[in-house]
Amino acid sequence: MTTKKKIFKIILLLIGMVIIVGGGVGYYMFNKPARDVQNTKTDFSYKASEIVNEYLTDARMANDKYLDEEGNSKVLEISGTVAKISEDFNNQIVILLKSVDDKAGVSCTFTSETNSHTLNLKIGDMVVIKGVIRSGASYDEDLEMYENVIIEKSDIILNKQ
Amino acid sequence: MTKTKFFSVMAVLLISVISYTATAQKLTSTKTHFKFFSSTSAEDIEANNYKAVGTIETSTGEIVFSVPMQSFEFEKSLMQEHFNSKKFLDTKSNPKAKLVGKITDLSQVDFATDGSYNVEVQGELTINGVTKPITEKATIKVSGGKVDLESVFNITLVDYEIAFEKGKPSTNIAKVIEITAKANY
Repeated sequence: MTTKKKIFKIILLLIGMVIIVGGGVGYYMFNKPARDVQNTKTDFSYKASEIVNEYLTDARMANDKYLDEEGNSKVLEISGTVAKISEDFNNQIVILLKSVDDKAGVSCTFTSETNSHTLNLKIGDMVVIKGVIRSGASYDEDLEMYENVIIEKSDIILNKQ
Repeated sequence: MTKTKFFSVMAVLLISVISYTATAQKLTSTKTHFKFFSSTSAEDIEANNYKAVGTIETSTGEIVFSVPMQSFEFEKSLMQEHFNSKKFLDTKSNPKAKLVGKITDLSQVDFATDGSYNVEVQGELTINGVTKPITEKATIKVSGGKVDLESVFNITLVDYEIAFEKGKPSTNIAKVIEITAKANY
């Protein structure tokens, strides 16, 4: 009788623990913070021209290599020449890395935390920018223009001006 | 005789090429904002995207937008992962959504005069690899030579084969989503 009660108590305790741990994990998963791209290991380092040309050669293969099914795509370090500096509707700085000979470039969007790191940049500067890839370069027949590779959550890794 | 004919043909060709380049003007926008908004009794969900590229051809009224789907940002990263996944928008296979449309009443718009013009855009929208015809209202604002476009419209998710049969998504995501589009040309 007492042993039966004891076993019952232990089982109840175990179930309780599973519920608490499971609930905790579930709660954490549900409120999981956004991916910290800058503290994620870099997967690939390229010149802007290299990734652009890889996409223009075979977009499907490149998408397969760089894009993740859940949107946690590859983290890249891109080196190139600053061709354009602008700001988007979310007050984020956008730096276009593109060499004059290329059909497309790499458009890198910074964040409210990293915007200030771009303040000293000028057109023509050589920089290395780290960020997460969102989509590749391609020629769009409807736009009648080349679309750039898109990198977001960017920060400057190296400024070789 | 044939020489003069040849020259007149050439002249006509030249004039038409010149007049075509004079009237055809494609404006490009890389400063854009696309917002998804879903509202149910359970919760409101919003996602924002600032990386779309668009063009507007002022002589024909043709409007094009290309939207990189992985650039949609959600407040909760779990939602963002669901959004991108194969079950929902499969953004690895379909990295871009696209709108190709035309202003049906282009005579209403004077791109050379400041003002706010209400127009109707008719065309095709491709999301999740599924293309459907759409007709939506938009506002074109011209001010000091700058052109802006704004539109708010609804899409029914099931039309684009985005369906949630069970679980939290089926109760927490609306069947009809409001999209706000803004572009600075």
